[in-house]
Amino acid sequence: MPALFPRSSNTLIRAVLGVGVIAAVGVPALLMVWVRTPPVTGQHDAPRQPVEFSHQLHVKGFRIDCRYCHSTVERTASAGMPSSQTCIPCHNQVWRTGPLFAPVRRSLASGQPIPWVRVNRLPDFVFFNHAIHVSKGVGCETCHGRVDQMARVQQAAPLTMGWCLDCHRNPEPRLRPVSQMTTMGYRPPSLQAQLDEQLARTYHVQRLVTCTACHR
Amino acid sequence: MAASTAAEAPAQPTREAHPVLLRLVNDQELTDRLLAPLWTPSPVWKILFAVTGVGTLVLAGAVSYTVATGIGVWGNNIPVAWAYAIINFVWWIGIGHAGTFISAFLLLFQQRWRASINRVAEAMTLFALMNAALFPLLHLGRPWFFYWLIPYPSTMGVWPQFRSALPWDAAAVTAYFIVSLLFWYLGLLPDLASARDRAPGRLRRRIYGVFALGWRGAGRHWHQYQTAYVLLAGLATPLVISVHSIVSLDFSIAQLPGWHSTIFPPYFVVGAIYSGFAMVLVLIIPIRRVFGLGDLITARHLDNMAKLLLAMAWLLIYSYIVEIFIAWYSGDPYERYVHLLFRPSGSYAWLYWVMLFANVGVPQIFWISRARISAPVLFGAGILILLGMWLERFIIIVTSLSHDFLPSSWALYAPTWVDWCILGGSVSFFGLLFLLFLRFVPFISINELKQLTHELRRGSA
Amino acid sequence: MTDDWPGFEEFPAEAELPPDGMSRRRFVQLLGASLALAGLGACMERPRERILPYVTSPPDVEPGTAEWYATSMTLGGYGIGLLVKSREGRPIKIEGNPDHPASLGAAGIYQQASLLQLYDPQRSKRLRQDRKPSDWQSFVSQFAPASLRGRVGQRGEGLHFLLEPTASPLLASLLGRLRDLYPNVSVHLYAPLAYSGQRTAAVTAFGAALMPLYDVRQADVILAVDSDFLGSGPFHLRYARDFAERRRPSSPDGSMSRLYAIEPVPSVTGTSADHRLRARAGDLEGILGAIAAQVILGPSGGPEGLPDAMAAVLDRYRRDERNPGWVPEIARDLAAAGHRSAVVVGESLPPRVHLLGHLVNLALGNIGTTIRYVKRPLIEPETGHDGLATLVEAMQAGAVHTLVMLDANPAYTAPAGLDFRRALGRVGETVSLGLFEDETGRLSQWHLPLAHYLESWDDCRAYDGTAGLVQPLIAPLYGGKTVAQVLGAFLGEGDWSSHDLVRAQWSGHWGKADAPERWNEAVQRGIVSDTAFSPLTPLPRWNDIAAALGPRLNQGAGGMELVFQADPCVYDGRFANNAWLQELPDPMTKLAWDNAALVSPATARRLRVETGDELRLRQGGQQLTIAALVHPGMADEVLGLRLGYGRGSGDESLAEGVGVNAYPLRMSETSYSSPGVTIDATGAHHQLARTQTHWGLEGRPIALHTTLAHYREQPNFAREERGSPLSLYRGPPLGSGDQWAMTIDLSACTGCSACVVACQAENNIPVVGKEGVLRSREMHWLRIDRYFTGDAEDPQVISQPMLCQHCEKAPCEYVCPVEATVHSPDGLNEMVYNRCVGTRFCSNNCPYKVRRFNWFDYNAELAETERMAKNPEVTIRARGVMEKCTFCVQRIRQAQIAAGLEGRELHDGEVRTACQQACPSQAIVFGSLTHPNAEVVRRRAEPRSYTVLHELGTEPRVRYLARLTNPNPALQRERDGG
Repeated sequence: MPALFPRSSNTLIRAVLGVGVIAAVGVPALLMVWVRTPPVTGQHDAPRQPVEFSHQLHVKGFRIDCRYCHSTVERTASAGMPSSQTCIPCHNQVWRTGPLFAPVRRSLASGQPIPWVRVNRLPDFVFFNHAIHVSKGVGCETCHGRVDQMARVQQAAPLTMGWCLDCHRNPEPRLRPVSQMTTMGYRPPSLQAQLDEQLARTYHVQRLVTCTACHR
Repeated sequence: MAASTAAEAPAQPTREAHPVLLRLVNDQELTDRLLAPLWTPSPVWKILFAVTGVGTLVLAGAVSYTVATGIGVWGNNIPVAWAYAIINFVWWIGIGHAGTFISAFLLLFQQRWRASINRVAEAMTLFALMNAALFPLLHLGRPWFFYWLIPYPSTMGVWPQFRSALPWDAAAVTAYFIVSLLFWYLGLLPDLASARDRAPGRLRRRIYGVFALGWRGAGRHWHQYQTAYVLLAGLATPLVISVHSIVSLDFSIAQLPGWHSTIFPPYFVVGAIYSGFAMVLVLIIPIRRVFGLGDLITARHLDNMAKLLLAMAWLLIYSYIVEIFIAWYSGDPYERYVHLLFRPSGSYAWLYWVMLFANVGVPQIFWISRARISAPVLFGAGILILLGMWLERFIIIVTSLSHDFLPSSWALYAPTWVDWCILGGSVSFFGLLFLLFLRFVPFISINELKQLTHELRRGSA
Repeated sequence: MTDDWPGFEEFPAEAELPPDGMSRRRFVQLLGASLALAGLGACMERPRERILPYVTSPPDVEPGTAEWYATSMTLGGYGIGLLVKSREGRPIKIEGNPDHPASLGAAGIYQQASLLQLYDPQRSKRLRQDRKPSDWQSFVSQFAPASLRGRVGQRGEGLHFLLEPTASPLLASLLGRLRDLYPNVSVHLYAPLAYSGQRTAAVTAFGAALMPLYDVRQADVILAVDSDFLGSGPFHLRYARDFAERRRPSSPDGSMSRLYAIEPVPSVTGTSADHRLRARAGDLEGILGAIAAQVILGPSGGPEGLPDAMAAVLDRYRRDERNPGWVPEIARDLAAAGHRSAVVVGESLPPRVHLLGHLVNLALGNIGTTIRYVKRPLIEPETGHDGLATLVEAMQAGAVHTLVMLDANPAYTAPAGLDFRRALGRVGETVSLGLFEDETGRLSQWHLPLAHYLESWDDCRAYDGTAGLVQPLIAPLYGGKTVAQVLGAFLGEGDWSSHDLVRAQWSGHWGKADAPERWNEAVQRGIVSDTAFSPLTPLPRWNDIAAALGPRLNQGAGGMELVFQADPCVYDGRFANNAWLQELPDPMTKLAWDNAALVSPATARRLRVETGDELRLRQGGQQLTIAALVHPGMADEVLGLRLGYGRGSGDESLAEGVGVNAYPLRMSETSYSSPGVTIDATGAHHQLARTQTHWGLEGRPIALHTTLAHYREQPNFAREERGSPLSLYRGPPLGSGDQWAMTIDLSACTGCSACVVACQAENNIPVVGKEGVLRSREMHWLRIDRYFTGDAEDPQVISQPMLCQHCEKAPCEYVCPVEATVHSPDGLNEMVYNRCVGTRFCSNNCPYKVRRFNWFDYNAELAETERMAKNPEVTIRARGVMEKCTFCVQRIRQAQIAAGLEGRELHDGEVRTACQQACPSQAIVFGSLTHPNAEVVRRRAEPRSYTVLHELGTEPRVRYLARLTNPNPALQRERDGG
């Protein structure tokens, strides 16, 4: 009677078993890594905008403060998106013509808003409030990154819940004087440790990890 | 352990009452006989397969409908937030206990008679577990997030809550399933090898060959086989106790009247094994008949199973009594209301009394020795006990929930057609799997029977 | 990706930035966007969300911050002042205006639910003539005097208007000017629930249409004769507030007023009374007459100078042996209270009963203490205008050429006897103005969409005369017009905006001088200062009263008696298309999505019917079949019918076919009760959806109640039911900051259900429909449990608001496998929807069964506009997750953030939950235990405070104050004896 299986089948079956065992452990592990990667979190995602507005140019070049356009950041939940009007005070002096500025002109003419593409998106069950973060010494840079280096603005942070909690569980190291709020590339003075505690005290910063702080 | 010792007690004195095997056939013949069904399909099988197949499709339909629409398509409500899904879950898990009990416990206690039925029992366990596993998943409001019950480092930076019984539940059931599977498969190896050697046609031989994992029956094989087998048996035995104990915590950690009771873990284990035995009987009696295995599955087996049923029944009766007594003795008005008033005389009273008849009354027939060896009686009793045990879970879950603390929120529960389709469908699915098992796997452990015959020969010589 | 579940998508674009101004087109654009997103949301592809900023930022609108505006809602002719919350130009929540005398900051169910009406997708959307769409301009040109005169005659003979009785100064002057223009125009004022008994009686008694206003704070003994002054009517919010002040003694030695209620059908007032006495409507006159006789004649046979005629009349009442045994006792109690008593007679009762009421109040000297008379501000039939009956006569006579029906639905509400529909066929041209194209709208040639009050400028008067302004929060979604505007069109002012009309009216009233300032002040406050009527001294005309009372009609005829009442949820049917109100359980019967014929247990036994059996009612050639509902506390041989159901043949498809229309059975356009209805069971059965089906307390410590007397003997009767019982289980750690807690005073709670609607509006709570209720799946986070105690035929009723108790040792928390419900450091039991997988274990383990489950995706089929009513500060729950009361955590967190920005701590009263805010009787108090002087702390310390199911050791943060009643000892003995 001819052999039912070739010799190699022993190795084969062992290999199959081995692969099975590895996959059982490896696949979940890989998944866990994958969900933390930019393609999933949207980190570094820089969508094309209807207006080729360069934060780099305006912030670094012209040293315009964030609050000039995002004017409600200290008062309300939303930082506030500039109305088309906002561009005019400067742009009726400079760059009033030219293709880059055309969409804004069109918007002003037609009265139709500029359809900006949202960059930092939180799910609708997350209630984030800019004003309170800013007033407690969290700078723009802390979450939005070096906007002054972004020709096209991109999502700087992964914006996962874990990422939020990193800071909510231990806010001190991320604090800065409110005066430095809009500073890009803020360098804490030496003896940061003491400053942290001092800031935390002056701003009454709490370790806010209760669910309804964000989910309501 | 209460279960096992008690189970032993009645078995001891009548050891010689009926022979374990009617006649001692030689290995060759035994193997051929037990492998025959694998090569020759019967028309009966085809019909049953078609029936259960349709039933399984119904299950698939009902499940997809539920997942697509929301579990609002069931009858559940507030206060009765748990119903059929959990009842079926507990019921199937319970049934799943007998297999391992028979294989592991009886192996460790060297009950030789187990040889003829352990494979069927183990297969039954696996299929029951597969059904059971369906329900906790299905009854979630958002099943697609089931994995949040598993402890893993999530991007949300949060973990499951280990004070709740449910994550442990998932763990216990999974562990139990894996061990049972390995145990069953390990036991199969030698027989798969025999199948490989006898299979007509190269293809089948190759297939059986792959699953036989190159078993050649060498001494070394047998040695390692024995070690692993006993090892797994030792591993499986505590699981039999743990799984349903943990399942019972799903209820007893709640403060609901009728749930909040310390007797639940043992009480559930007993109930589980009880229903498991009933299911084994319901399965082996037709097999014995159809495949003419009267000489291998003998009066001895029936008699022992009947005695075990009786013993379990009395353990269960004890649990019932304690439960009700404590309800009264505690003086807790809510417990008293549920146990002494609502269950025996409330809206679901008739189910309560049917349950008591089936679980308490029916097994008493086994005091009569003739009943213990009568296949029809055992079969009927098995069916009734399975029904009774399902009702027991219904009573525990639905009556407690529907009439708890605030009369203002009392409300009754009524199942919808989807509930019925899922229940019926899962039974069909079980049947389907079991039919496949009968068709493609040696459903009686050939090698263990051989050992048994050899031992018996030696004994008689 | 949890965040990609469409269920959670709510106006993503808009959540960031508002639609500019109030244009409807913009709304629809945004909605389009958000819907598209909802679709996208489901795929793994990250949705490209658009942000639409302003082109030029409007002043004083800040994205994501709410604005509050003062306005008023008119119902039953009178206005109630409101504050409306607006986000990005869309109204999202309606609350009471603290400055308004009829509200004092509370809001009733109708006011709050009117928000949903604004966004109702079935509202009438287009102006049409016959079948074809038309527009305002052509309507105006068609009906401007120039062209209309030709059709209706120079003096307007053939011109008829039909509208509701109203107190609006603007409408008054417009109608006046209309009469100047068309001297023979006839204006018919009619509303199915506008009763004339009170006015007629006042005219007889005082020669002028005076109206009593009650100050129940001053009253020690109150007798309510079939008057639901605490639960319905234009001033009930105020009365409930005042009444409650005398019902919750802060300590055992405090005092309480005593309320007697005599009524055929249990009402909110009746169930709040110390003695609720059942009587057929027809017997009320005899009973009050006897009481009046006892009070006035007394043992001495009456005061000096009592006219003989009067004495004779009263004597006849006194000698009636059919009067119940308790009559003398009530009379004695009233007399003892002297001028600190009050008799409140139900609006719906006939003049004779009102006359008797006036008599008793006069005799007891209540005028000036508990009662003040003011002039009745309504324009109604007796003020030189006709009712519906005269209109129908004219129509049948063919004398009506042009009929203009303004916000009225006679085709539905008219009694079958009048046969309005057929008469309508004989009218030359018909115009209807309505929020919906309803039964009447369908039948009329011209139909105009009415502007919702949140879309219009208007004015109104409160019950006490205080004038209020109605200002819009949003431009008319469907180009609706106000009643004033339509009247304006007939005056040739069709191009006037509603703003112009109101502004002109009040400028005229103030005189040009200081108009702008006063106008701005009025708009800002919502009320016009010092416009309340000053009290008048009534000069009783004894002989006229006596004449009117006698010869006395024989007491109520025998046989079954029908009683028609406004439905406590859908009013007269105008709210029948409002899902919130349809799902709101009737405060008395807990019946939702239906109406039924209420009968007492005894009567049910006699008729051999049970709840759900269908009855066929026959009266005056009319008949209808309706399901019976056996309701303890009903007077025997009385059959109570709720009006407002059985809508049909209109656009309001939600209301269509819900319940049975009882209007046709009415004898006259506003008949309240009528004897001699014949009843037989059809044998058919109808399923009634009730949110509660068990009424007993089973001797469990759930809703504690006792009498004031017993409370004084044993102040600590509730001691066993509070504090922390022994326990091995350590609760979750609590922080050092605020610790939120609530108290609910069962003595003050009337069960009016305003809190339920408030909660629904604030927290985006979905409705589940009749099927859902039948499967007991209603979603209300806050429900009102009702328990019966005592006599099964005529029980005492306790209403208990039941919501998440925010247990410090919450049974729900430790059973959740995924920590979706956890405890916050400030003592909240948090529910995290986005973490919930829906095991429902928490609900099983909740002893209070206050958790709700999303069995389906209840927000899937919401219309575009309905989505706009959602509160953007609360997550829309997805299918398959649990939800429950959060103590309005969104309000807490926002207040904390506001305080944080100002770098200060929260102070007491800064956070008010929606239910607390709406509660007219201030039964609900919320606050932090860390504020030593907080009202919530004070109330928790009261001896009668307790926690429900205390021995379970859940240690709820919600404490109840046991219900106290102040029964008359004599009657109490009688009740216990018998």
